Amino acid sequence: MNEGSGFRQGLSIAFRLGIELTVATLVGAGMGYGLDHLLGTRPWFLVLGVFLGATAGALNVYRIAQDFQVEDEGGEKKDRSDPEDPSGKSD
Amino acid sequence: MESPLHHFEVHPVIPIHVMGVDLSINNAVLAMWVGLAVVFFFFIVVVKNGVKTIPGKLQSVAEISLLFIRNLVDEFIGKEEGKKYFPFVASLFFFILACNLVGLIPGSYTITSQLVVTGAFAFGIFILTLIIGFAKHGAHFLSILVPPGVPKIMIPLMIPIEIISMVARPISLSVRLFANMTAGHTVLAVLFGLAMSASVFLGWLPFGFTVVINGLEIAIAFIQAYIFTTLTCVYIGDVIKLH
Repeated sequence: MNEGSGFRQGLSIAFRLGIELTVATLVGAGMGYGLDHLLGTRPWFLVLGVFLGATAGALNVYRIAQDFQVEDEGGEKKDRSDPEDPSGKSD
Repeated sequence: MESPLHHFEVHPVIPIHVMGVDLSINNAVLAMWVGLAVVFFFFIVVVKNGVKTIPGKLQSVAEISLLFIRNLVDEFIGKEEGKKYFPFVASLFFFILACNLVGLIPGSYTITSQLVVTGAFAFGIFILTLIIGFAKHGAHFLSILVPPGVPKIMIPLMIPIEIISMVARPISLSVRLFANMTAGHTVLAVLFGLAMSASVFLGWLPFGFTVVINGLEIAIAFIQAYIFTTLTCVYIGDVIKLH
């Protein structure tokens, strides 16, 4: 049962990454547009929403890729903290 | 030549109108019932044949697929917690798989190619994760919006980002299934339209492609059902473990 596991995981990641990025940007833009509509502050929340959405999308993709990388290294659990990450801890 | 989007149209088979509300039984509802019946009778037949220590062909298929989902649930939700959610995840997987496969039969209807259907699934799962989260962690559940280790200055920025990525989950979940099924079936319809309109000398070429792409679509049906259930498990697991 585990033979095709790597292949299946690869496919599922391939299907996930692109859509995750796009949808998060769209959701951010949509929420910004909605806020503008409610508060009458067009177009500022829309602009903010697009940027926040794109950030959220990039963050999601980064997390998925990170999970995959840890699995890829096979058992040997790498410390996930990134030396360049100022918080010293991620995820 | 017929429009390649023609086979996504919903039309009523048995019109029913109750107090101005359209409750007609249409081809989409029928396809859903067929999918349900396929899953139901498959397992009924397995059980009726008698569950043996040395499994027959059908029992092997049922056991392997259930074990496969069991592993999925164990991996993403956890061994103990997963027991509660296994029936839900398993029925979700088999229903989506059956609907995807039923849709591949020429002349039938692909229920998963409707955003309403996949959206309803994803929205239900989203509400379910929220309920599980609040029931399990109470108000502490809101800390899912703040990833651990984020400096204090970043928190006002991180909360909107986390809200967006939270809301994006059910949308990407539904759009992925819907888009893959719609795209695949549109390609099939276009190629088949080409095969029908071309002369006999050229028509075999697109027709051959429809055969190949049909095989691909069967694989996609399995993969999309798998991805949908995996992500359901991931989302439920995230909410239970809370980082």
